[in-house]
Amino acid sequence: MAGAAIELSGVEKRYGGVLALAGVSLTVETGSFTALVGGSGSGKTTLLKTVNRLVSPDAGEIRVLGQDVTGADPHLLRRKIGYVFQEVGLFPHLSVAENIAITPKLLGWDARRIDGRVANLLGLVDLPLEVGRRAPAALSGGQRQRVGVARALAAEPKLMLMDEPFGALDPLTRDALGTDYRALHERLGLTTVMVTHDMAEAVLLADRIVVLRRGAVVADGAPADLLAQTADDEVRALLEAPRRQALKLAAKLGGAA
Amino acid sequence: MSPRLSQAFAVLPEYLGWHVLLSFSALALGLAISLPLAVAASRSARLRWPLLAVASLIQTIPSLALLALFYPLLLAVSALSRAAFGAGFSALGFLPSLLALTLYSMLPILRNGAAGILGVDAAVKEAADGVGMTANQRLWRVELPLAAPVIMAGVRTAAVWTIGAATLSTPVGQTSLGNYIFAGLQTENWVFVLFGCAASAVLALATDQLLGLIETGTKRRSPRLLWIGLGGLVGGVALAVAPLAAGLDRTQAYTVGAKNFSEQYILAELMAQRLEKAGAQVSRKEDLGSAVAYRALAAGEIDAYVDYSGTLWTNVLNRKDNPGRAEVLKQLTAELKRRDGVTVLGSLGFENAYALTMRPDRAKALGIASIADLAGQAPKLTLGSDLEFLSRPEWKAVEDAYGLKFKAKRSYQPTFMYRALMGGEADVISAFSSDGRIAADHLVILTDPKGAIPPYDAVVLISPKRAHDKRLIDALQPLIGKINVGVMQAANLSVDRDAGKASPAEAAKALDRQILPSP
Repeated sequence: MAGAAIELSGVEKRYGGVLALAGVSLTVETGSFTALVGGSGSGKTTLLKTVNRLVSPDAGEIRVLGQDVTGADPHLLRRKIGYVFQEVGLFPHLSVAENIAITPKLLGWDARRIDGRVANLLGLVDLPLEVGRRAPAALSGGQRQRVGVARALAAEPKLMLMDEPFGALDPLTRDALGTDYRALHERLGLTTVMVTHDMAEAVLLADRIVVLRRGAVVADGAPADLLAQTADDEVRALLEAPRRQALKLAAKLGGAA
Repeated sequence: MSPRLSQAFAVLPEYLGWHVLLSFSALALGLAISLPLAVAASRSARLRWPLLAVASLIQTIPSLALLALFYPLLLAVSALSRAAFGAGFSALGFLPSLLALTLYSMLPILRNGAAGILGVDAAVKEAADGVGMTANQRLWRVELPLAAPVIMAGVRTAAVWTIGAATLSTPVGQTSLGNYIFAGLQTENWVFVLFGCAASAVLALATDQLLGLIETGTKRRSPRLLWIGLGGLVGGVALAVAPLAAGLDRTQAYTVGAKNFSEQYILAELMAQRLEKAGAQVSRKEDLGSAVAYRALAAGEIDAYVDYSGTLWTNVLNRKDNPGRAEVLKQLTAELKRRDGVTVLGSLGFENAYALTMRPDRAKALGIASIADLAGQAPKLTLGSDLEFLSRPEWKAVEDAYGLKFKAKRSYQPTFMYRALMGGEADVISAFSSDGRIAADHLVILTDPKGAIPPYDAVVLISPKRAHDKRLIDALQPLIGKINVGVMQAANLSVDRDAGKASPAEAAKALDRQILPSP
């Protein structure tokens, strides 16, 4: 199914007197993997959260999966959208399996279907089945975020929103998790929007990169085209950083990178 | 076992049952009110500080005063409801105690509840929203379970406070473990006082431990501990309250009241024992305040008690004149009947008047025999009184009539007032003329040449609804005119003396044998 998964037009948000989003318009195609990139305070997280109504915009229109979200019940909308964020936020009083099962439970799935789905998801995020019985506190950081991804996928959403999902992990774990998630994105035919401040991660995972600054889109395109298209020095510097870093690394490590 | 200890154990099921019923009802009600308030406080900073400020303010009111304040308040509400719906309710006993203790239990639950909910990790709250919970689902499935250990710690504090403060519900007419303490203090029965303290402390500790089990259960997320704690609490409450259920069928039962001193305990026992001999069920409400007792009788919450003509004359009828003993009694009988429907069954035959009293050696040394003599020397002397004398109109009358100005005035529990006189901390005390200690210690009662102190005939009062109750009247009528002051003094002394004390019940039995010898 082609068409737009998310359509934003003229979205504005103010916190006190500060403009966080200055009239952003953006369309995200179904099946795409989009990275929202920018420094802190650029408005990338705020923009992401307007999609599942964790943030209510002051002005503008937002359509998600063909539906106007400003009129909908936020909790019903959120059950159709997977949400993963840096702190994960696993429920400490529930087991891993219960954490994963939470949205299906809210949707009233029957117990057998939930059990099957939890087992399936643990496999999907590459965790052994017995982890399901453990408490979140007994897991490593990487395992915890795998559970976070599984929980977000539990109710079979078509759309995934990720807010710096791998930001707190060590580089190896981060790389493995990123690669695994990209594979899941393909396999399940998801639409993914991921916020990151790490341009390298964005280039490696996304099909499209949207750069924000002071609440406005300053660059938007496929990673390969972006550098050629942009006239903005700052964006150019941001895009060149990973390449410069890679070259430096290659030189220091002896060309094997 | 010593007889006093076995006496204490004999009434334990009743006292403990009421104490548990009262404090746990207050705790449950406090929880039901405070928890929603805590949720509201955690949601809105604007609501938070006024709520916590009010709860803290309530906590600063001494618990005894809080209990005392609810009595007149409920009395007014009851009168309003009687006017509006034709039915009032009892302003004495369980209800005022319940309300005051409920208020008292709120602060720790409210404070810990709000803190517990606010303390839930922001990431977990965001996740709850993110997975699609409604505000209510987030509260019940995430915030309350995670705040539970902190909330339980607040409940534990509230439970210990409530169980301790419940002992103070005795003076507003609610039976509790406080009955041991108040009665024991009056009759210097230290076994009773200690027993009451110990029983209430054991109850508080046991409750605290069981709640602690629940707290640990919520902290370690162990349902087993949680159920053991909960089961222990429910089982314990059921066990403690069970004896009360046996006495629930009290529609035909009589309630005999008593104020808070030995003579009142003895006379209440005397009346109660006579009713029981006639086959009636009787409950006793002791340690009532002076004003509380009369209002409770007029409202039908107690059926009979003994009061004193002068007290009723000045405090209930607000009279300041003194037309003489017989006339006071006559007018009182007519007025109380007319005003409140209260029956004055008659005088028992003795007076228990306020009597300014001195140690014989002091009186002799200072050359004081009457209150008129006292007036000249008062500025050098200290007056010891009971807790209410100085605020009563009788004192005002004496003060005005003789122009009394003391160097200092001190208030004591009656028992300690006599100690103060004997120890020289007070030179003059407001004694009671029927007190056995006057004769035993050869105290000198100062004469009242101006007749400023009204007569205080001990009279039996009957509530309006029992005015024509034959069984009650038949049981009490034979007491009228049968107790002279010597007999009463002896009975009082048997309870008040330091060695070989009798309990009020024993003294009442002896008194009954003495005045109405069995045929």
